[in-house]
Amino acid sequence: MFGYVTPYKSELKVREYDMFKAYYCGLCKTLGKEFNHIVRFGLNYDLTFLALLLSSIEEEKEIITREGCIANPLKKKDIVNTNKSLIYASNISIILIYYKLLDNWKDEKSIKSLIAATPFLLPLKKANNAYNNKSLVIKDCLDKLTELEKNKCNRIDEAADTFGKLMEEISAPDYIEDNKTERILKWIGYNLGRWIYILDAFNDLEDDIKNKSYNPVLLQYNYNKDETVDNFKERIVASIEFSLTMSLEAISKSFEILNIRKNQGIIENIVYMGTRHKMEVILNKREVCKHAKSI
Amino acid sequence: MRNPYEVLEIREGASEEEIKAAYKKLVRKYHPDQYANNPLSDLAEEKLKEINEAYDFLMKNKGNYNRNQESNNWSNQQYNNNNSSIYTQIRAYIERGNINQADQMLESITSRDAEWNYLKGIIFLRRGWYDMAYQHIQLAVNLDPYNTEYRTALNNLASRANAYRDIGTSRGYRKDPSFCEICQCLFCSDCLCECLGGDLIRCI
Repeated sequence: MFGYVTPYKSELKVREYDMFKAYYCGLCKTLGKEFNHIVRFGLNYDLTFLALLLSSIEEEKEIITREGCIANPLKKKDIVNTNKSLIYASNISIILIYYKLLDNWKDEKSIKSLIAATPFLLPLKKANNAYNNKSLVIKDCLDKLTELEKNKCNRIDEAADTFGKLMEEISAPDYIEDNKTERILKWIGYNLGRWIYILDAFNDLEDDIKNKSYNPVLLQYNYNKDETVDNFKERIVASIEFSLTMSLEAISKSFEILNIRKNQGIIENIVYMGTRHKMEVILNKREVCKHAKSI
Repeated sequence: MRNPYEVLEIREGASEEEIKAAYKKLVRKYHPDQYANNPLSDLAEEKLKEINEAYDFLMKNKGNYNRNQESNNWSNQQYNNNNSSIYTQIRAYIERGNINQADQMLESITSRDAEWNYLKGIIFLRRGWYDMAYQHIQLAVNLDPYNTEYRTALNNLASRANAYRDIGTSRGYRKDPSFCEICQCLFCSDCLCECLGGDLIRCI
């Protein structure tokens, strides 16, 4: 359920676009440096956003170098050098991806996932050691999610709450000492997690109907088989959109009181436009804009 | 005290007009209405205080100014409408941020009237459960349509969702021209063209 948090490309300045990409590459390189090269496939935008947000409140400016990379060895790219927030985000990536793959294995008996999880074993140990308290909470939240699925929880808010708590936990690293900053980051994380969870559930409606899988949206709004998916979506889309927009509103309001030192433009773009665009595309309110597909 | 120009996000030596404009913009941004039932409302209040101080500092000896200092104390205005003491207690807990205690007390009440649903909605709001919050506040409004407090809370939610969208839109999101704008543009082009002796569209 990752990859929803991206900028709205058509309104980014070129230098902001370059900076976002430099963070993306920076996280990828950090994953390689801290762990191994295979885990770099687990790279995603949501954790890039986390790294970007966390470094935006730090005093030090990021150091940018031009390097080639495995994916494209000839073309040199701007890359943010490994820093505190990138190291943190890379460790969290490892923990999340490992449990995600394990979850796929348990749910769908997907051998592919089981094999894919093996290169994560050693890194997981390292990440677990370094961020033990975060790792425990992540595992706890994921277990709770499984429990909710088993009990067929029919309240969207309740199901999303657990994933929100997970994101809340990872959005505030231990090295942040200021209590106010911590509170703000946690509230951003909570709402972001909630938003991702509900959007993902909406995105999966067709598949979940087909596979008869758990989906809180189907349960809360009593989907019945005689209804077409489109009719169902039409019936519920307004209230889902309201609930999701309120989460984005909470994120933006929290961001406004955060003491940002750099990269304000990119983060504002993501908070006010990128996430909104993603949401509107998934809720079928908007055609995918050619330029805004992906970075 | 931080540099007041920095607080108001303007360059040093900005004119009085600029200061006022910046101040107005910031007050709107951090206005208590925008943070109603948001767990971070106290931090927004601090920010507003800092903005007010910076403004006062810059405006000293510069004539009158209006300060926008509404209270976000929604419960204060409404206490007198409320006879039930348990609800008063619950409101006090919510006010102090003790959401769990408030929720527990609320759950122990069996008759679930409009007030109950309203407070439940507020608790959900503080937790970020916006879907449930909306349902409960809506129900409170349905049960007691003449209560302005419930209605205000409901409207506040809608207006905040709109305010969020407005900011994105003002920054360039969704700039595709509407049908009207296309017509307008064609019509103007045609007029201009005709002025210069040509014709873009024959029929208009």
